[in-house]
Amino acid sequence: MSQEKSEKLRSFEQQALPLMPQLYGAALRWTRNPSDAEDLVQETFSKAFVAWAKFEQGTNLKAWLFRIMTNTHINLYNKRNKDQAKTALDDLEDWQIGKGESITSISTRSAEAEAMDNLPSGIIKQALDQIPEEFRMVVYYAVVEGLPYAEIADVMGTPVGTVMSRLHRGKKLLKTLLSDYASQEGYRVEAGKE
Amino acid sequence: MKHLDCEEVKQNVHEYLHSELHEPELDSVTAHLANCDSCEQHYDIEIVFNQVIQRSCDEAPTQELAERVMQRLREIQDHD
Repeated sequence: MSQEKSEKLRSFEQQALPLMPQLYGAALRWTRNPSDAEDLVQETFSKAFVAWAKFEQGTNLKAWLFRIMTNTHINLYNKRNKDQAKTALDDLEDWQIGKGESITSISTRSAEAEAMDNLPSGIIKQALDQIPEEFRMVVYYAVVEGLPYAEIADVMGTPVGTVMSRLHRGKKLLKTLLSDYASQEGYRVEAGKE
Repeated sequence: MKHLDCEEVKQNVHEYLHSELHEPELDSVTAHLANCDSCEQHYDIEIVFNQVIQRSCDEAPTQELAERVMQRLREIQDHD
């Protein structure tokens, strides 16, 4: 193995591989199951390693890897043209998305926050998995990764305005699904509970 | 400072929480929140919602995956 080759692997291993937890988290949201998520992470790192010379040191490595993951996922699973990333949901009017205001019929806001806090993580994940992936990933990158809108736009290959509207609508859709769950389960927050 | 009504303030909740609001809108929203319980609670619920989403997505990859990826990278390197 030449010295240049081993140096490439060493620098990639030091810089890129520590981001595996973040990549796996995003991959789980793209694929919605651990086995496909692992394949997507492996494929993303493989592509990134091959392209490693093109990464500009000093720029945002995590965003660069997320961008490769977006393209890899689209190539692997969707086979769709990136230009068609706009979904029918983007064209709906706000009122058609549903109000998404409250997950319970209980009127007080503190009860609302408590009911939300009590929702099981599995139910939240199920709801996330049910919304269209472009919306799910924007919610994920904004809420879980804390990426700025401009970076999400870059990672997803959409304008910033689309990121903003998908974040709003994605969260609205989630709340509507969670509110359906809450009413089916007869989810209640008892007023005055300790 | 521009005066905002509750509807406008609530529409800005995500931008506010994700630090995407800038002057002068930021000042207007902050001032409104200081004086409006309804909007403040609306924002608090959104904060809880974000925390709940973060909590539900807290899953770590296995050690096997790290080993699998390294193995693959070495193979790529050998065929380079």
